[in-house]
Amino acid sequence: MKRKEFRSLALVVCLTALAPAVSGCGNARDGKIEVEIVQYKPEAANYFKTVEDAFNASHDDIHLTISSPNDAMAILKTRFIREDYPDIIGIGGDINYSYFVDAGILADISGYEGMQDVNEGYLEIAEALELVPTDGTYILPYAANAAGVLYNRQMFEEHGWQIPETWDEMLALCDQISAEGILPFCFGFKDVWTCLAPWNAMAVELAPSDTTKQVNKGQTTFTDEYGELAEKYLALLPYGPDDPFAYNYNDACTAFARGESAMYPIGSYAAPQILSVNPDLKMDSFVMPASDEKEGRTLNSGIDLGFCVTADCKNKEAAYEVLNFLYADDTLQKYIDAQTSVPCKKGSFTLPVILDGMTEFIASGNMTDYQDHYYPSEMSVDALLQTFLIEKNEDAFLQNFDTSWQRYNRDIIRMVQEYEAAHGSAQ
Amino acid sequence: MKQTSTVGKSNKTVLVLLILGLSTIIFPLYMTVVIAFKQPSEMTNSISGILSLPRVWSLQNFREAMEVTDFWNSLKNSLLISGLTVGLSILIHSLMGYTLGRNKSSKFYNFVYLFIVSGMFVPFAILMMPLAKQTAEMGLANWFGVILLYVVFYMPMNVMLYSGYLTNIPLALEEAARVDGASTWLTYWKIIFPIMRPMHATVAVITALAVWNDVMTPLIIMAGSSENTLPLAQLNFQSQFGTNYNLAFASYLLSLIPILVFYLICQKQILNGVVNGAVK
Amino acid sequence: MTKHENERKRTFLLITIPILALFICFNTIPLIRGAMYSFTNSRGFGSHDWVGLRNYIDLFSDARVGKSYLFTIKLAIVTTIVVNVLSLILALGLNSKIRAKGFFRGAYFLPNILGALVVGYIFNYFFTYIVPALADMTGLQGLSSSILSSPNKAWIGVMIVCAWQAIAMNTIIYISGLQTVPEDVYEAGGLDGATGWKQFKHLTFPLIIPFFSINMVLCVKNFLMVFDQIIALTKGGPAQSTESISYLIYNNGMSGGQFGFQSANAVVFFIVIVVISVAQMKFSSSKEEQL
Repeated sequence: MKRKEFRSLALVVCLTALAPAVSGCGNARDGKIEVEIVQYKPEAANYFKTVEDAFNASHDDIHLTISSPNDAMAILKTRFIREDYPDIIGIGGDINYSYFVDAGILADISGYEGMQDVNEGYLEIAEALELVPTDGTYILPYAANAAGVLYNRQMFEEHGWQIPETWDEMLALCDQISAEGILPFCFGFKDVWTCLAPWNAMAVELAPSDTTKQVNKGQTTFTDEYGELAEKYLALLPYGPDDPFAYNYNDACTAFARGESAMYPIGSYAAPQILSVNPDLKMDSFVMPASDEKEGRTLNSGIDLGFCVTADCKNKEAAYEVLNFLYADDTLQKYIDAQTSVPCKKGSFTLPVILDGMTEFIASGNMTDYQDHYYPSEMSVDALLQTFLIEKNEDAFLQNFDTSWQRYNRDIIRMVQEYEAAHGSAQ
Repeated sequence: MKQTSTVGKSNKTVLVLLILGLSTIIFPLYMTVVIAFKQPSEMTNSISGILSLPRVWSLQNFREAMEVTDFWNSLKNSLLISGLTVGLSILIHSLMGYTLGRNKSSKFYNFVYLFIVSGMFVPFAILMMPLAKQTAEMGLANWFGVILLYVVFYMPMNVMLYSGYLTNIPLALEEAARVDGASTWLTYWKIIFPIMRPMHATVAVITALAVWNDVMTPLIIMAGSSENTLPLAQLNFQSQFGTNYNLAFASYLLSLIPILVFYLICQKQILNGVVNGAVK
Repeated sequence: MTKHENERKRTFLLITIPILALFICFNTIPLIRGAMYSFTNSRGFGSHDWVGLRNYIDLFSDARVGKSYLFTIKLAIVTTIVVNVLSLILALGLNSKIRAKGFFRGAYFLPNILGALVVGYIFNYFFTYIVPALADMTGLQGLSSSILSSPNKAWIGVMIVCAWQAIAMNTIIYISGLQTVPEDVYEAGGLDGATGWKQFKHLTFPLIIPFFSINMVLCVKNFLMVFDQIIALTKGGPAQSTESISYLIYNNGMSGGQFGFQSANAVVFFIVIVVISVAQMKFSSSKEEQL
């Protein structure tokens, strides 16, 4: 009797120990080679579903699986901890990519023939993202986005406003727009990350593209490099709404879509959200003018999606075959149409209409990466910027930037300086 | 006579106050429903715009939201995980709460009590990575692992609630059964377990709600599997640079219904149980 | 009798051992494993170096972490008071003899179920557009701009949303508590002339003190660990004024590359909450004994 009772107790509790361990990994199925891609843009899930189907329909030897999970970065990091690596990962060219290269998770794919077709501008950007110069190429840049100023074309045409090309012209335009009783800019600074958009767009003309690297090497400080940038950013504020910190990204997109402002300093990525509110809006973009020279202007653009093969990938040939398929002109064109983005491949592509004002920069490969792709996310530069815009204390902001940078990048700085000590003199 | 009249009066005041308080709930609910029926092109930043009724009352958003989240499949997973977690929690946590509540004089059990309850204060973020690794090593990177983790996560709070409730249940009830020769084990299931019904209902509501809305645990533990729970699937509506609030709101309204029904059922148990039970 | 005692003891032990083992396996061991990271400079993946106590030393000199502790503690204290006062009143109201009790109980539970995305959107809209418009109409200067855009006032917005969501659960626990108060206590009290506030203070409240202390512990714990509402409402802004401790740990440790450092933060935070809660439980159990 008693035995029975204890057995049932054991049953209740040991249910817990009995794990249905049915987590079989999909290895070679029907003799096919399995290739798995995890990519981080859930909004492109439909596109990748069609790519997956098309690939599998046309290949007998390779079976491709593409997953577009929500919060893919958390999932990728979790899988890395478990040492369960997908064959290919699709990520953006930002600090996470730099960390993955540094951690040795990614394979060198400079031997992949498709590399020759990549727009050099984006290859340089990819190289620059490595924390310390590393031999090889670790990402196939796929699509990019660009940041500058989106403007309401209909409004500009009606009032006869001209696209500015220098900082003075920019301010004059803003004054002119205000004088006609229209709000020049809308801002969504309640969402801190949007504070980075004008910052990045102006930085490409006002600060060296490798500012962060120079600081890491101890050659300069942010106080020296970012002074003008900070000053000019503050000068834009009066042309926005009274309390820009009350509105979030969504509010700003809605306001711009409804014609409540003439311009919105943000990236091309905002287009789908804006058009969802007002599909008939005629908008275009121009490169943010921040310096007084018309010469030497450059577009703020960075890798929004690129594909990396993991070091753990068993069959590189199969992975390259998949990359070939993804990188085919018509496949890439479909992505660009669906996501209003910029191709990272050379060749003739039809660009989204809203990028009309930026086309010549893209075609000539004249682009500079976002400064924030080098900022570690835990330093929350976006929040520092928001604080600066609220308090308007330039010195305190720049000083804080320098001290925070040293604090959050201690290990990287040490690594860079060790590298410099070993290689610096040789160069 | 006089007293009943004052009672009647104060009840009316209470009613008026409750209705006033209700506005803090009706208003957000109204917004949720209206937005769930609107199209993205009807979204504005003006107050009259957001409060206005949708142009057409169509179930299109709901249909689309169900499609995007693979509703029935996700619902099935959510129900399975929540249901099993609640069931196991009631069985295991009440047993543990009973043991600890009945041994308050023992140093060992007191220590076990504090040890378990302090588990409530562990920030989840510090457990995440080790758990992701551990569950994978143990072959538990699936829904069963998620349930197991929930049973452990909610153990501290539920054990606290159960053992607190037990202090109100007289020992005499058990002693009577013991005289009849029943074992402690049997006495528990035959007498104590049924008496704790109101607490079971409370624990069920609190646990079910926490599990129903949780994103992080399934995200981390089931990472890479194609199975979704409802909250996981609902992440679909938010991407890096845009959110479809209309579809999201429709989806949230849908996922609200099962848990609300569950609460209403449990609520009856909480009240009936206490009124009829032997407490006090 | 002693045979029975032995049987009872053995049953208790047989219950405790497997459950405790389960708990240790999935709570204690991962906690220890996680705490090990606090002595490294790990980013969460890849290789890492041991850095000794560096993270802990940094922690105590990090102004951002210090600020987040101040904000979180302030929020927890104020919200706990607000929630307990309101939910006690609400529980008394819902427990009195009124019409449509079931409806009210259902309705007041709703805030608890609405997802963070919905709550975030609605309250953002409320604070950004509706409150300022109402303030303009009534001429209240202080509220004419969104409180969420002011570093000094944003925490009030977070507090309101936390309270709005948490009241439901506390009310349920208070209602269960009120059920254990027998009718005749009120009748006896009524004869002595105790009505209203007096009746509550001297008759009702002392009887539901155990539920009061459970609610206090749960509230303090929940609000010290506040995370969802921060994500939904402010994401730590404006000007980093609403970064809660859990937000920092998750955002910088999990999403960012500060895994080792934030693990140290989590360890310290864990110890802080345990100390606060144990003190609270000791205090309330001594109160209970007095009665």
